[in-house]
Amino acid sequence: MTGLQTSDKVSRRVAWALLGMVLVLALAIGGQGRSGPLTEDQRVRRITSVIRCPTCRALSAEQSDAPSSESVRDEVRRRVQAGETDGQVKNYLVSRYGEDILLQPEAKGVGLLVWALPLLGVAAAVAGVFLALRRSRVRPGRRVSDVDRALVEDALAGDITGPR
Amino acid sequence: MSAVLGTAAVTLGLVASVLGIATIALGLRRDNPAMLRAGQRYIWLVLGGAVLATAAMQLALHTHDFSLKYVAENGSRSTPVLYTVTTMWSALEGSILLWALVLSGYLAVMARRFRTRATDPVVAWATIVALSVSTFFFALMTGPANPFRLVSGAIPLDGPGPNPLLQNHPLVAFHPPMLYLGYVGFTIPFAFALAALITGRLGEGWLVETRRWTLFAWGFLTVGIVLGAWWSYEVLGWGGYWAWDPVENASFLPWLTATAYVHSVMVQERRAMLRVWNLSLLVATFSLTILGTFLTRSGVLNSVHAFTESAVGPAILGFFALVVAVSIALIGWRGDTLRSPGSIDAPVSREGAFLANNVAFAAFAFVVLLGTVFPLLAEAINGDQLSVGAPYFNRMTAPIGFTLLFLMAVAPALPWRKAATETLHHRLLWPAWAGTLTVVACVVAGLRGLGPLLAFGLGAFAAAAALRQLGLSVRAARRGGQPVWKGLFGRSNGGMVVHIGVVVIAVAFAASSSYSHRAQFRLGAGQSASLAGHTITYLSTTTVVHPNKKTIQARVRVDGGKVYGPALQQFPFGSQAIGSPSVRTGAFADVYLTLVVPPDAEGVAVIGMNVQPLIAWLWTGGAIMGFGTFLAAWPGRRRRRTDDDEPVAGEKEAVPEPASVSS
Repeated sequence: MTGLQTSDKVSRRVAWALLGMVLVLALAIGGQGRSGPLTEDQRVRRITSVIRCPTCRALSAEQSDAPSSESVRDEVRRRVQAGETDGQVKNYLVSRYGEDILLQPEAKGVGLLVWALPLLGVAAAVAGVFLALRRSRVRPGRRVSDVDRALVEDALAGDITGPR
Repeated sequence: MSAVLGTAAVTLGLVASVLGIATIALGLRRDNPAMLRAGQRYIWLVLGGAVLATAAMQLALHTHDFSLKYVAENGSRSTPVLYTVTTMWSALEGSILLWALVLSGYLAVMARRFRTRATDPVVAWATIVALSVSTFFFALMTGPANPFRLVSGAIPLDGPGPNPLLQNHPLVAFHPPMLYLGYVGFTIPFAFALAALITGRLGEGWLVETRRWTLFAWGFLTVGIVLGAWWSYEVLGWGGYWAWDPVENASFLPWLTATAYVHSVMVQERRAMLRVWNLSLLVATFSLTILGTFLTRSGVLNSVHAFTESAVGPAILGFFALVVAVSIALIGWRGDTLRSPGSIDAPVSREGAFLANNVAFAAFAFVVLLGTVFPLLAEAINGDQLSVGAPYFNRMTAPIGFTLLFLMAVAPALPWRKAATETLHHRLLWPAWAGTLTVVACVVAGLRGLGPLLAFGLGAFAAAAALRQLGLSVRAARRGGQPVWKGLFGRSNGGMVVHIGVVVIAVAFAASSSYSHRAQFRLGAGQSASLAGHTITYLSTTTVVHPNKKTIQARVRVDGGKVYGPALQQFPFGSQAIGSPSVRTGAFADVYLTLVVPPDAEGVAVIGMNVQPLIAWLWTGGAIMGFGTFLAAWPGRRRRRTDDDEPVAGEKEAVPEPASVSS
């Protein structure tokens, strides 16, 4: 009996280990980006996808067909061709259009808050849930009073005849 | 004529709401059942007022009564009938009227549903709360958002018509009403929650009573949001469907908290836990619908959707503050009686999974809310002008999305209270293999990128888990001698169908945001271009003059087959030409065409081309979610009552069903 249970346990572990290995292998192969340096097109796309279309609100300069977005794309392409880094291109755009041309604030100054607050909030929530769980797991042991115990014993002895 | 009728109708709605509140309040004070019943009857007057006001507005729109400011600013003689109907919700005042109409409709259903319990204090208080909400909206229409205000000065002969984007696609007739049915539907559960707090009857009664209301509201909101995304895709012409625009976020926020609520409510029903949390989620959902209205209707955030800007902002913000303050005060006041008797025994259990689900949804809602209002906050703090857009939201919510997919896969397999490893092994192994093999298949097929692969794998895992549950339920139904389809009805089965819909949408979202291709081509007549394995050929351009607009339409052949017509539309009063995309929808990829620049002197046009995978899955997923909600709201397989001696089927044979079904 116990032998059977252990072999069950072992075969279960083997099944999940196999699954884990296949999954990790597949993700390791599939998770790699395409090799080689980015093409000019890809770099322009990567930069403009975090740049706001100057004349619309929620769209990026990469998505928008607006003329202003086209001129941003042209400018970015010119600077990428001139050998500027992503950071340099973005800095130029910020100096030209203002901080709000970036679709995600930089993690500095006030902008740090928008990144940090959710992380702090989630950490606090998870910690809170764990604390609550621990407290509630400790409590039931303590809460059983002598009266409760007596009631249970009476019930088990059949002294209390309630509705079946 | 319509102005007089409309103003009278709005006044009727306002007065009836106030009188209803007063009568019920007096009835409660004097313990007078007759007054409590009489108070309920005012609801029918409120409904009458809203219906009459809507009729007056439609009459004014269709008879082109330009003496009304709203009609003069949003109507026009040349607008087709369909869009004349929808003009009612094309701007602020009419939208508030639609809100009031939907609200009074819900009120009437509530009055009818609880007609035998008008003297129950919980029902009485819930009615007072719901009527207070309707008082606010009718008051809004007599004051700052009066849809029946007259024009000052001479009556114009014609108007500009609704915003061009709102008369471009028939979805505009369905998306806003659906969304409002969702938004407003949460008023009733909210009213019952407050009533439970006020009366102190804080058991699970109010929860069970409003279960189906919440589900319907949630289902309408879901469908409304998906239709909105579809509208955005078909009309706005940038090729996407979700821009994390403030208006989209405003509709998504209550959806997130409501989704958390429909899950955690099960913990309370089953284990009598999380009472304060559930009340807070419901209050949050309702107040977020109000906050969303404020954000989008006050013009405080400029967005592509902000068709309307007005002085209504302070009123709505005030109402929002009132709702939040009253709710928090009530929850605080009843804090002691809300303490739950139950506790969670083990983290790896159904209730543990629901808890994790709630943390994830709360975090999701927090991120979306923070990102939406952050530009305002930053400006208030030190005057910084910042933008928070799609890159931020995608990056922050992706991990939460993965967590939710994982929970969706695991949670249905977890038993309540405590899970044995053997059970988990038995229930999860083949869904987990389904997920793993999906990842393997995708990698073999050449798909790359950790994000989408994780999404596909977890999606398959979750879908397999849901299918497993459905399979078990169907089998149980068959064994029980019931028809197989019965195994799909009921809350948990409907819920699994909804999960499948969510998976379909998640997979489509991951695929379309990771593997889309976009380009613009300068093409002369007869020239072709290729993108991502699809070829387009530009044929010619035609100009068609309609009564309400001029259309410049390109003819573009896709993959040597059908010809599509992306267009630019010029409305007489619109300053800018509006692009109308043309989409070849496919089961696995859409080809999305736009006319960016009409042909120049040499006949060279600029055609925008997007190739995006699995777009059609988004709308399919939305339909599955709506259908699943319907199944969940339907009474499921009943457990036989313990005191019944006759089996249910036997009863049915003995007593034939009456021909007419009551209620």
